[in-house]
Amino acid sequence: MRLAASIAALALVAMIAGSGCTTVKPWERETLARTDMTWSPDPLEAEFKGHIEFSKEGALVGGGAGGGGCGCN
Amino acid sequence: MRKCYVATLGLALLLAGAAAAVEPGEKAPEFERPDLDTGAPVSLEAYRGKIVYLDFWASWCPPCQVSLPQLDALQDELGGDLFQVVAVNVDQDPRKAMRILAQMGLSYPSASDPEMSLPEAYGLETMPTSYLIDGDGVVRYVHHGFRDGDLEQVRPIIRDLLRAHPASPAR
Repeated sequence: MRLAASIAALALVAMIAGSGCTTVKPWERETLARTDMTWSPDPLEAEFKGHIEFSKEGALVGGGAGGGGCGCN
Repeated sequence: MRKCYVATLGLALLLAGAAAAVEPGEKAPEFERPDLDTGAPVSLEAYRGKIVYLDFWASWCPPCQVSLPQLDALQDELGGDLFQVVAVNVDQDPRKAMRILAQMGLSYPSASDPEMSLPEAYGLETMPTSYLIDGDGVVRYVHHGFRDGDLEQVRPIIRDLLRAHPASPAR
């Protein structure tokens, strides 16, 4: 029983490791850096909306590196 | 005890694909790639004995484009027998990078790595990233990202390495 559980756990870990869920490496972001891949193609509009969200809800605006955008520093 | 082995093996599987970032004190991975402009081989080995500022960049990276002319000015200022800026471009289509080079007219070599194996070897954590490498091929400083004024932090470190270089006229 224990052996079966251990094998199942190992198989699950292997499946997660080999799955399509992966982070994009910094040098692979060429496609994500395209303007049509950003959450908001207009940076001024994005900043304006982010300011509103922060002021009204205390929400920190995400996007950029996590989604579209070049994720550069 | 068995659970401990399974957990360790699982963690090892998860981490298997992670590339370790090259840190100061470590040997810079050697490479040879064609120059974007001339096609001639560009290698770290060719600059052994010189202090090299190795810069990874791409055409789609806005901070990279800010850095290029500033690195060109750095090359003009400090370049010579003891110091060299070397760039590595990671565009999958090198023609995009070549257009930028044609506009900017840089005075330092830019190697082309469309397979992006060098960023993997160096374990880049962001774009752009630059490595200051001493005459023995050891990384002495890593600079992540680029903003105007960043070279003011880097310049003193380069000057210190130049002063300490065995062939430095200041010694």
